[in-house]
Amino acid sequence: MALKLRRVLALCAVALLGCAASAAGVTACATPPQPPPVHATGPGIGSRGGLPATPGSARLTLTETGSTLLYPLLRTWAAAYHGKYPNITITTAPTGSGTGIADASAGTADLGASDAFLSSGNLVLDPDLLNVPLAISAQQINYNLPGLGPGVHVKLNGAVLARMYSGSITTWNDPAIAALNRGVRLPAIRVVPLHRAESSGDTFLFSSYLSTGDPGWNAAIGYGTVVAWPPVPAARAEQGNSGMVAACAVTRGCVAYVGISYLTQALAAGLGEAALQNAAGHFVLPDGPSLRAAVASFVPATPQNETISMVNGPAAGGYPIVNFEYAIVAARQRSPAKARAIKAFLHWVITSGNAAGYLGQVRFQPLPAPIVTLADAQIGGIR
Amino acid sequence: MTAVAPAGAAAPARTRTSLRGAGTPGTLRLMLITLVGASALWGILGAWTVGQHASAAAQVATSSEPLSLDARQLYQSLSDADVTATTAFLAGPPEPLAVRQRYEADLARAAADLSALRAADANSADAPALAAISADLPVYAGYVQQAQAYSALGHPLTGGSFMQVASEQMHLRLLPAARQIYTSQNAALGAASARATGLPLIVLVLLLAVAIGVALLRTQRWLTRRTHRIVNYGLLAATAAVIVATVWLAVAFTTARTDLERSLGHGSTPAELLARAAIAAQQARADEVLNLISRSGSASFQQDFTAMRTTIGPGSGSLLAAAAGAAPTGAGAQAVAAAERDASSWYSVAGRVFRLDVAANYAAETRLVIAPGAGGSAAGFSRLESDIGRGIAADQVVFTAGATAGSGAFGGLEAGIIVAALIMAAGSGWGLTRRLAEYR
Repeated sequence: MALKLRRVLALCAVALLGCAASAAGVTACATPPQPPPVHATGPGIGSRGGLPATPGSARLTLTETGSTLLYPLLRTWAAAYHGKYPNITITTAPTGSGTGIADASAGTADLGASDAFLSSGNLVLDPDLLNVPLAISAQQINYNLPGLGPGVHVKLNGAVLARMYSGSITTWNDPAIAALNRGVRLPAIRVVPLHRAESSGDTFLFSSYLSTGDPGWNAAIGYGTVVAWPPVPAARAEQGNSGMVAACAVTRGCVAYVGISYLTQALAAGLGEAALQNAAGHFVLPDGPSLRAAVASFVPATPQNETISMVNGPAAGGYPIVNFEYAIVAARQRSPAKARAIKAFLHWVITSGNAAGYLGQVRFQPLPAPIVTLADAQIGGIR
Repeated sequence: MTAVAPAGAAAPARTRTSLRGAGTPGTLRLMLITLVGASALWGILGAWTVGQHASAAAQVATSSEPLSLDARQLYQSLSDADVTATTAFLAGPPEPLAVRQRYEADLARAAADLSALRAADANSADAPALAAISADLPVYAGYVQQAQAYSALGHPLTGGSFMQVASEQMHLRLLPAARQIYTSQNAALGAASARATGLPLIVLVLLLAVAIGVALLRTQRWLTRRTHRIVNYGLLAATAAVIVATVWLAVAFTTARTDLERSLGHGSTPAELLARAAIAAQQARADEVLNLISRSGSASFQQDFTAMRTTIGPGSGSLLAAAAGAAPTGAGAQAVAAAERDASSWYSVAGRVFRLDVAANYAAETRLVIAPGAGGSAAGFSRLESDIGRGIAADQVVFTAGATAGSGAFGGLEAGIIVAALIMAAGSGWGLTRRLAEYR
């Protein structure tokens, strides 16, 4: 046994050296390594057979708090589930992801909704928490450029966006933007970068995209839920996705990062939607196929606890800013009846609840089958 | 006990009355049988008891201690692998060579300690935890490898999420199992030491020796009165043997007990407290680094850092304070005092790190966390780590010296007791047989 372990460790060491040697991006490690073998014990990993088909007959109320982005969808899911099982009532509250995580950890809510996976700091403080993906989300880049013509999508990439947010690109007809948009008559109006005023998962995703596209941005500013935005005279800070859309709608020349579920509102407000350059060099819009393609490239590598960042992935046709929306839930529940109801509801959400009829309203995409399998294994671990 | 006590206290009284009945030869015969039998019995019991204590003391020095050290090193290697891998990730790609080598050395050492513990299998209660580490360590290494590979391929965010998953695997699965093994090996060390220093049997052996000595003296007095011979050389030799053996036994046992208790109290206990402080410091350092990798906006890493800081100390109830209390003088105490100073100055650097994090000044924060230089967090942590390491090494010297001396105190005693018992039996037998012969 010990010999076998040594051999495995030796292989790992060899692989590490190989990867370091090929840091330039060729040879043995050019494809991301496959996930290690599954061990069916421990936090977050339960037996697959333990999933109840129904929530049981007990009259129960499940409470949910968290992500404002997930709130409309969760409200629809809650109503539909109550319609199917009248003894189960699910209350929802749009408090923000951070509060959702804290409530699930403290036990003041049964489910926390989060736009981001748990940090390992959360898990060290509360090893009992699980993050279960519920759907695929994405982030769009909107702009207010009147007169571009119907069907035109301005092409942008991380490097150019980083320069727009750093203040080194100040007008929309800058040669750097024009170089990406040959044949498009870009107006000579001032760039007004909008960013979120408060700590936000959207800021995390957007600044991550900028960091992967521009090493200078990564070194000087970096990524985070809060970012020290470079002082750009025209820049403005807005509260929430709705604040970003509303401000952009009345500001010519604005550029804003907004959750995909606000796309309908953004289009109704007359905003344009950018095609973003992905790691393979292609410009893609955030639609069903591009979101699903982006996630598909990460499916084989997704770890058992489904904690994974998918910004700027390798898929040729993938949209670069995608993420999972998560339910944060405690693996140990107070009663078997409640555990059963939570398991049944979450399983329903990632299967029947992932139908286009539910997700379409917020433009989310359904989870790929292997991710559902991993999620079911996590849900099965709830006791 | 019951077989012997009458020989010492009651036998002379009985022989005095029986002298009138059965006559002196009968009494002498009874004394002969009782003294020879008691000496033989004492020899067997004494040698067996000393053997038990000596083997327990030897077990402390040669078996329990190395296994406890293996368990501690396994625990520390795993913890060090975590902090080294996260630091290397933050500094890369490519990861600095020295850091990568340290990570690989950690894994190799953990594998070697795991093999040693599995081979010894001293405590079968540890088998599930040992098996869990064997199974989970390659999974951990796989996640670290994925983190590095994604980072090298230009997906630092995905790499960062894998680094977090790796650290979760370490903190939620590997380290708890290692802690369990360490706790149980430590308990085994404590139990072996308690067996070596336990009182009941050795007190019984000493009481028996005293009883036999009293019986020998009273027998000689009786013979002197009856036979008008001043000295019986056989009985005198037996008495001398029992006195020498008793004193030797008492001194050896007291020395061993003192040495072993000192080795545990001033060696093993502070070393164990310092090992826990080292692991808590590694967790605090990992909090600082992972916070910078995850940038989740959650205060959880800072909360955990603060909790670790309280655990490590300085401050009342902290591990460093307890270690200082357990080893108040010597090289170990100096190292702990240095650790207390260096911990405080590292915490103040870490305070600046977390303030930069709140201000989203990630570039300056990264420099402060990983850049070399005496004022950085890496240097501060490294100073604390080396202080604690020196303290553990000093405490280990105290422990090994005490355990070896304690184990050595029993040297030759087992044979000595057998020889003494033989002299006692032969002396009593010879001395009384010569008196018996006078009645023929």
